Amino acid sequence: MAEPLLEVKGLSVDYEVGAGTFHALSDVSLELPAGHVVGIVGETGCGKSTLAHAIPRLLREPPARIRSGEVRFRGMDLLTLPKWKLPLVRGTGISMVFQEPINSLNPAFRVFDQLSEAVRIRKRRETGQAPGVVPGTEGFDYSKREGPKPADVLARPLLPSGPEARKGFSRVLHREDFREDALDYLRLVRINDPETILDLYPHELSGGMRQRIMIAMALSEKPSLLIADEPTSALDITIQAQVLTLMKELIEEIRTSILFISHDLGVIAEMADDVGVMYAGHLVEYGPVNDVYEHPRHPYTKALLRSAPNQYKADGPLPSLSGSVPNLSRLPSGCPFHPRCPLAKPVCSDDPGPVLEVQKGTAVGHVAACYFSEEVAGLP
Amino acid sequence: MGRSKGDLVIFVSKRLIQLVAVLFGVVTITFFFTHVAIPNPCYVWSGPRATQATIQQCIDKNDLDKPLLDQYVLYLGKLLSGDWSTSPRGVPVLPTILAAFPQTLELVVAALFLMVVVGIPLGVIAANNSGRWSDHLVRTFYLSGWATPTYLGGVVLSIAIGPLVGLPHSGNFGSIPTFPEPFHMSVLDALVNLNLPAVVDAIAHLILPATALAFINLGIATRMTRGSMLEVLPMDYVKTARIKGLSDFWVLYKHALRNSLISTVTVLGITAGSLLSTSVVIEEIFQWPGVGRYAFESIVKYNFNGTIGVVIFFAVGVVVANLIADILYGLLDPRVEWR
Amino acid sequence: MTARSESTGSGADLNRQLSRVRAWIGQLRSGTRGLYKVLRANPLTLVGFALVVLITLTAVALVIVPPTSAAFGYPISLTPYDPNALLPCPTVGNQSFCAQPPSLEHFFGTDRAGRDVLSRVLTALPLDLAIGFLIAGFALLTGGALGLIAGFWDRPGTLGAAVSLAIMRVTDVFLAFPSLVLALAIAASLGRGTIPSIIAILLTWWPYYVRLTRGEVLAVKHQPYVTAARAAGVAEWRILFRHVLRNIAEPLVVYFTMDVGTVLVVFSTISFIGIGVPPNVPEWGNMIQAYSDYLLIFPWVVVFPGLAIFVTVLAFSLLGDGLRDILDPRSRRALSQAETATSGPAATVTAAGASG
Repeated sequence: MAEPLLEVKGLSVDYEVGAGTFHALSDVSLELPAGHVVGIVGETGCGKSTLAHAIPRLLREPPARIRSGEVRFRGMDLLTLPKWKLPLVRGTGISMVFQEPINSLNPAFRVFDQLSEAVRIRKRRETGQAPGVVPGTEGFDYSKREGPKPADVLARPLLPSGPEARKGFSRVLHREDFREDALDYLRLVRINDPETILDLYPHELSGGMRQRIMIAMALSEKPSLLIADEPTSALDITIQAQVLTLMKELIEEIRTSILFISHDLGVIAEMADDVGVMYAGHLVEYGPVNDVYEHPRHPYTKALLRSAPNQYKADGPLPSLSGSVPNLSRLPSGCPFHPRCPLAKPVCSDDPGPVLEVQKGTAVGHVAACYFSEEVAGLP
Repeated sequence: MGRSKGDLVIFVSKRLIQLVAVLFGVVTITFFFTHVAIPNPCYVWSGPRATQATIQQCIDKNDLDKPLLDQYVLYLGKLLSGDWSTSPRGVPVLPTILAAFPQTLELVVAALFLMVVVGIPLGVIAANNSGRWSDHLVRTFYLSGWATPTYLGGVVLSIAIGPLVGLPHSGNFGSIPTFPEPFHMSVLDALVNLNLPAVVDAIAHLILPATALAFINLGIATRMTRGSMLEVLPMDYVKTARIKGLSDFWVLYKHALRNSLISTVTVLGITAGSLLSTSVVIEEIFQWPGVGRYAFESIVKYNFNGTIGVVIFFAVGVVVANLIADILYGLLDPRVEWR
Repeated sequence: MTARSESTGSGADLNRQLSRVRAWIGQLRSGTRGLYKVLRANPLTLVGFALVVLITLTAVALVIVPPTSAAFGYPISLTPYDPNALLPCPTVGNQSFCAQPPSLEHFFGTDRAGRDVLSRVLTALPLDLAIGFLIAGFALLTGGALGLIAGFWDRPGTLGAAVSLAIMRVTDVFLAFPSLVLALAIAASLGRGTIPSIIAILLTWWPYYVRLTRGEVLAVKHQPYVTAARAAGVAEWRILFRHVLRNIAEPLVVYFTMDVGTVLVVFSTISFIGIGVPPNVPEWGNMIQAYSDYLLIFPWVVVFPGLAIFVTVLAFSLLGDGLRDILDPRSRRALSQAETATSGPAATVTAAGASG
């Protein structure tokens, strides 16, 4: 395979808060090939959100501090990029959908103002009027579905050609020029009556609607990589289902590359091609979704799958793991999971801990960080 | 949902009614306070060598022998009819104030302009670099402004800095600013008349007093902006603006500042009112011919009618400034319902 | 809930008492440690804190030992000279030069009447500082109380609502007054003097506190913990003191700290204009006014009282501004959020059910 779209190597992030240093991410590595959907799953506080924010360098530094590692996006290392160049990568390069739709739209501007801003940035970059990463096209394949809209939206010629084009270039793009595009993207995320929605303020919209607009805004820049940071966790369960269905359809339609963060195993199973399991800032297992779910090779993954309610048939207490997640400012030595692990042996607490290794008897690309991964299958 | 222009009209008219009520309170309190504290100012006005006849004449003229309540009713009637009484020397109060007001307005607006243009960006810079040296520098700067008494800043600017940088100041009346037609504001009138040298001259005269007035209050704008920016910056919509690919400038000055201005604007409204008060000291130091200097002279010369007039006039100014701030607040924050 | 059982035996009782004391000491310790940590992280606040302590101690010392006292039978004084004594002026020919620049004998120089500027600046300190504390404190108490009433007892249809409305309308009227002009007018009509100036500022100062307190009370009143307390049957006055007052205390303290300096400035402004304290009383605004025209000829007579005001107000502002960052619940909340977000509070593995 060619160079992956996104490559994270040995990324470690700390938070320096008054009480001490929290190791939010420890030596996380993963690859995201173009056109793939990679899910990251883990409990609250396992560092998955930090990972999502660290990739486009959205962490507030301080308190966050990137200790080491590399984030290579289309061949450039985002961590060594000077600060002023970061905006050039964001938007058309990497875009993101956040967890809380309540706060993710600016309350002071109408939907149109915010959406057209995104479209404008993309167009200026496409036409070379402004510097920036040219919107990704390799990840986008809009031909799969017969429906005219998404393909039409994204394949429409940007500017008329010939002498008209010259005129177009010389003229500063006006906001109203983007109205049609904005409408198209609202239709893309299945918003009825987009004309009305465009002129509303965010506080006049429901949470699900806002999240759709966030998705439309992210997609309107045709990003090479979309990061979805728990896009449905803050929504009502019915709205959650709607938004997930939408995202699933969009994934099918426009095959963009997505890093999908969730604490919900079911959602990941629906969405992702590959899944990474995180625990206490470590990536403990990674592989194709089906294979990981069917043949987990890390005791934590096994426990996580076992405690998912839909796996539990009879009534009775939900199975849960004994012990608690370690304090990130005082991580145990070696494998972070060993204090709670049923398979733990003295070797597990030796530094450095286990690293992600290819596992025997599993699908290609399935790796787990455990010395005794063969025994995991035998666990209850 | 949504707000119409009609709602705005209702909102403004409601506030205007409130304004009248507040002004009524102001007039009442001022009247009774001054008339109880100084039941008969005629002795002061007429001087120690006045004859009984002149004093009596003065008492008659000002209705001072009538019961207090009657005086109050008479006074209210006169206020409403536009007759704000006269100074001891017989100069009518209201026309004097009205004639001097444009000059004060010019000074206050210039100071507000400086506060906004300098103070708000400083607050943004400090918030964006919170905890670093530039933040400490900005904080020291605005707290120094806060800690400098108006009169001290005025004195230093007019007597030490003015001559040093060669700007016109109180001791140097080689070129007195003129306040011609039609606005009676030096800069504006010179601009309207397309008189470039006059514009330069007027601005030169305005710089020092406006700076003195602004410097003290710069801290308020900066601190408010810094504080609200610190609240706004961690918000998700700032992250959204960043991930769109907007440069830091637009993220800070469009998306973040727009939201933090909502709280800053209220404070600016209150400050505009207090600038009127402060102008008393500044105008006296710089010999700026505005309402403030008139107030100062009235106070020193026991011109009670003049003092009361200025207090009422400035109260109108304060309330109107707050009204404007309220309207701006509503315009800036779409979530506010006009009530 | 405060369940007190009487008959659990003295041993258990003592233990409980001990643990309570221990918890209290622990709180105190972590509190002071937190203060220390914050002060160290924020050098400006530390400077302000140190200056406020120094200035206040100096003022107290000057009150205990007035400049012209003869305690213990000896003439002792904290100021180098009697602030009102006219020192002999050096003469050159038949001209005398009373205004001497700063020297080793007179650190701040002398004024045109031959008085020691340092002694006068020091003598003015207790007066100015006391007025700052007095007026801001009075405004805090009256305005705070009125604001509490207006914010807390405003349920429609009750007597409280009517009282609240009346308080707010009167406050609105006083807020509309241009405070400095009104203070000047009052001071002028009451006649020159320290007391009229104090009365003038007192009358114009409290409304800000009413509005501030009421705003804070309204913000706190509908917080879930207040509703929860009410639902649990906690008495209204207890809610007011335990929940509301404690949560609004911080912004009030911050505002009060900064206000001490502001009051001081206004007081000295009234003196500067010439209707405050009598001319011969050492007071900073007074001293500046007397010699402001000579700023370029003998600057030290103006600069040192000016610096005294500047440093005093700056100290209180630095402290208040820093306190805001320290005490502001929002910034503390942000801090604790950052902590929980990274420490991982989940006790059990609960992967939420699939919803697809």
